[in-house]
Amino acid sequence: MLVVNELHAGYGLSEVLSGTTLTVKAGTVVALIGANGAGKTTTMRAISGMIRPSKGSVTLEGRPVQTLSAARIARLGLAHSPEGRKVFGPLSVEDNLLLGAYRRLPHFFGFQARAAADLDHVYKLFPRLKERRKQLAGTLSGGEQQMLAIGRALMARPKVMLLDEPSMGLAPVIVQEVFRTIERLKSEGMTMLLVEQFAKMALAVADYGYVMERGRIAVEGTPAELRQNEKVLAAYLG
Amino acid sequence: MWKRLLLIRGAELAMFVVLLALPLGINNPYFLGLLTLLAIYGILLIGLDVSVGYLGQINLAQSAFLGLGAYAAGIMLARWNCGFITCCIGGTAFAVAMGALLALPSLRLEGPQFALATLSFTAVTVIFLNESEWLTNGAQGLTVPRPPLFGHDLSPKEFYWLCMALMALTWIAMRNLLASQWGRAFEALRDSPIATDAMGVGTYRHKVAGFALGSGLGGLAGALYAFNFQYLQPQTYTYDLTVILLLGVVLGGRKSLWGAFVGATLVALLPNLLSNRTLFIGISAAGLVFSIIAAARGLLRRTTKPFQALAPVVATGVLVAGGALVSNTEDWRRAIFALMLFSVVVGLPEGLMGFASKFLTNLFRIPPQVLPEPSPLESVLPERRERTATPILEMRDLKRWFGGVKAVDGLSMKILSGQIHGLIGPNGSGKSTVVNVVSGLYTPTSGELVLRGETLPSGSLLKTSRAGVARTFQNLQLFTGMNALENVMVALRGAYPVSRNLPLVLLGLGRREEARARADALALLEFVGLRKEALTPARDLTYGAQRFLEIARAVARKPDVLILDEPAAGLSHMDIQRQMEVIKKVRDRGVTIVLIEHHMDVVSGLCDVVTVLDGGKLIAEGSPAEVKRNPKVIEAYLGEVESKPALPTATA
Repeated sequence: MLVVNELHAGYGLSEVLSGTTLTVKAGTVVALIGANGAGKTTTMRAISGMIRPSKGSVTLEGRPVQTLSAARIARLGLAHSPEGRKVFGPLSVEDNLLLGAYRRLPHFFGFQARAAADLDHVYKLFPRLKERRKQLAGTLSGGEQQMLAIGRALMARPKVMLLDEPSMGLAPVIVQEVFRTIERLKSEGMTMLLVEQFAKMALAVADYGYVMERGRIAVEGTPAELRQNEKVLAAYLG
Repeated sequence: MWKRLLLIRGAELAMFVVLLALPLGINNPYFLGLLTLLAIYGILLIGLDVSVGYLGQINLAQSAFLGLGAYAAGIMLARWNCGFITCCIGGTAFAVAMGALLALPSLRLEGPQFALATLSFTAVTVIFLNESEWLTNGAQGLTVPRPPLFGHDLSPKEFYWLCMALMALTWIAMRNLLASQWGRAFEALRDSPIATDAMGVGTYRHKVAGFALGSGLGGLAGALYAFNFQYLQPQTYTYDLTVILLLGVVLGGRKSLWGAFVGATLVALLPNLLSNRTLFIGISAAGLVFSIIAAARGLLRRTTKPFQALAPVVATGVLVAGGALVSNTEDWRRAIFALMLFSVVVGLPEGLMGFASKFLTNLFRIPPQVLPEPSPLESVLPERRERTATPILEMRDLKRWFGGVKAVDGLSMKILSGQIHGLIGPNGSGKSTVVNVVSGLYTPTSGELVLRGETLPSGSLLKTSRAGVARTFQNLQLFTGMNALENVMVALRGAYPVSRNLPLVLLGLGRREEARARADALALLEFVGLRKEALTPARDLTYGAQRFLEIARAVARKPDVLILDEPAAGLSHMDIQRQMEVIKKVRDRGVTIVLIEHHMDVVSGLCDVVTVLDGGKLIAEGSPAEVKRNPKVIEAYLGEVESKPALPTATA
């Protein structure tokens, strides 16, 4: 579904990624773990077109997308739920969600009606959002904002979802809820690439895992293999 | 170290020597007039750069301050017969006062609103000068003789030397200021006003002081302007001039004395440039060649985007073509200014000097600054031994409501000195609101805050910070453009008596304290393990290092109470271990810590007492072990920790 090959990218003159290679098969959840500054978020940003890779390729369903703009890549079916959530604070919860479906549906007439089924789906997944549909997104708690960010990504009916640190700054009870949602999406057949500091939890839901170190993939394998790797165990799984 | 000083100071010295020596060789009154104007505009633009460059505000009033200074000096001379020096001081002082008067209300505004406020100030000033005929002689203009200095009539050459000497003095004073705590405060407040206040550096008062200083330099330039032209007319000081001055600063390069000087050269030469068509085409062509080379280099090295590289080429190309087609370049001057401004803003956002300084740094391999030895930690963060378990910070029935939302609803808690006090709770339980109320970002709806038995000021980050409560920010509020060392040095402000005094700093008396501040800041960076990264810009630090820098900066305040707002959020396992060590070390120096954190490992490993909030109210308090067993806490916050080890709550 998503293949990243020898990707190089960075900011200005400093290169963060120096040849990252990874594959996400359709219907699987892949976890990307590693230390701060290893390049996990940069990988996500380079895949979704928020920064332009300087070398290497990203293919989505066999189609090279590394030269396309973030908006084009999103329309091809890749949704990115960014680190730190980035919901549209001054808009209501429902407007945030509708914006997620913006490029997918014809505009002007009957937009809301057409989006209704998707809204229902998201509200079923996150009943809290339905309760707060008229509330401004900026006034939601951190956990609710994270759910909104995932919900907004789902509204685009993506083929692949990138989830960047969905647990950041959330209470343990909410982190568990977020991970239950990820498990549920997985059971519905969603393909996901997950960046997470809670490496243990990420590997618990993932089918395959990559460990990044200084801009490259250092170790890869199934969760069971990674858990047995002593280096990984000591450095990331505590 | 010496090479750096020699190159930078040497270039300045060489420039002033050449400028001062020029009239000795050339006996052309027209050329001398241009040089005099260059010195005057130099002072004016250095002043404008304070607000446009350092404060980051669009200031459209500098032409008005030039006018106010000119008229103040002119009127003092023509009506009251004051002397040369008195008139200069009068013009400067009047502009400082008017600058402060304008800044006090309008610097509460930001961005476009502030620009509009300064624009209207210029309009009012010009109209006032025009209509107050009893004072200014109105549109007919005011004739001002050039007064003698110490009984000596100044020849044009001597007047030029005087102006150039004043510009050199301005330059030196400004350099002293910018290399001090003041210069850093200006940088900091542009990056994060909230953090600047939280570090005990008053954002607003620095902005007002900086703006008034810049206006004062405008007034000084005005007084010299009056004595140079000896005839004043209100229409000189309208928007037209303001736009040209802005063009000068932006083209020369903001935040740079050299940039202001290059801009002044441009502003002084521009009218003459435009009246000579051949010269105009020649210079435009030179600009075109220069921008083509820069564009090619930038594109090859992939450092500029195609649009950014092409825009100045197109704009200078249009200038060359326009110069060839249009018969009278003078008539097109506004369009020409606009085009130049456009090409600079798009193609050289850092101005000519911003571009040149990068280039020259590489060319001469100007070495980076050398770091001093760090101060002993004891002098920066003295260890305090106190009788433990005395309440140091108390919240009494604290409430903060947002409309109908009761974010904090009657919270009372006591924090004991020397302890690490954890504050946990689900998202939306009011933890962040408590932090923001205690640190002064929000005003409490009701309730009382007590620090060491005295009421803590509320609703002001600045006052709370100065009272001894420091904080870090969950969503990092570093001064991203400054390096790690400077970030810490901002927070050290106030620890040094001379650096607080603006006139002493302008005279360059703050240098010794400055060296000490560097050593002190380095000690703190070493304390959190960032010594090697001291000269790295904060924005280039790894995420983990940024979190450590937040702590170093807050500790630099030598606080009684340190509030850490989710310091471990997003950190990897290894960084969390290191951070816990640092937090323990801070506590061991006698600083009381309030820790908001979601990683239960960190909370259990560090905290002496934990308070749990839910719905803005306290639901449990006790040792970490007690709290973890509390069923209310498990239900509201921890979730199914015990039953499902596959979903651990900790740092794993």
